Amino acid sequence: MALTICLSIAAVLFGIGLYGVISQTNLVMIMMGVELMLAAAMLNLVAFWRLLHPHTYALQLFVLVVMTVMALEAAVGFALATQRFRSRGSVEVEEAADLKENA
Amino acid sequence: MTPLQLLFLGVFGLAAIWFGWRVFRTKSMVRSALSLLAAMVALGGMFLALDAEFLGVLQIMMMAGEMSIMAFFMMMYMMDPGGMSSMNMTHQQRPAAAVGIGAGVLVLALALLTPWPPAQALAPSATQQNHDLGIELMTRSMMIFETAGTSILVAMIAAVATALAYPQQPD
Repeated sequence: MALTICLSIAAVLFGIGLYGVISQTNLVMIMMGVELMLAAAMLNLVAFWRLLHPHTYALQLFVLVVMTVMALEAAVGFALATQRFRSRGSVEVEEAADLKENA
Repeated sequence: MTPLQLLFLGVFGLAAIWFGWRVFRTKSMVRSALSLLAAMVALGGMFLALDAEFLGVLQIMMMAGEMSIMAFFMMMYMMDPGGMSSMNMTHQQRPAAAVGIGAGVLVLALALLTPWPPAQALAPSATQQNHDLGIELMTRSMMIFETAGTSILVAMIAAVATALAYPQQPD
């Protein structure tokens, strides 16, 4: 019961995050979608730890690693946004066609 | 799990979904950063309801910092951070909704149709958890933990190197 609740909520959050990644035009908003998807993965891991293997701490460690990945994604993403803003004056992906070959 | 824990799990879960949805439904970017923060805090509440005290508190603290930084970057880089003019910030709405709903339904079906083993009734106490997680970090999973630390260092260097201003090349 509890496992079903957690996994369903994580599935919905993952879907919302994916929708955001595809539909948003701003780099920072796209990163928010990625964060939401990673958060859904984290919820799954905590639910698996608590309800299936409460004595396997590798699962808690995995949550810590996902949290690290979230922080790294934010740091590198903001660095890219900073460089993009410096050189082009905007972080809109609609205006990033110059990254494409022959554009 | 006690009925109270189940209740909190459901309430925090619905709050997380609601705020997660609000992130992409508001014109104001600062508001959507705060919505994401609220969704992450609701998730931390779910971790607490799942007896993972350390992870829950860690999640709330980390996300509070990360989302406030995100709100700052929004104000720096957005043309219209407050959503005062009704600028459209989205593209390819229909395919995005289709892919999002499709992936969500797929994951939901996986979660509901898999025959999970019966749930464990009891979790270790918070003290026991912290002790055992520390032992795990310093014995069996030490390399993974160290790798996470090294990747933070690498990402810090990469982020600074990427964000540095370089002199413009004359064409």
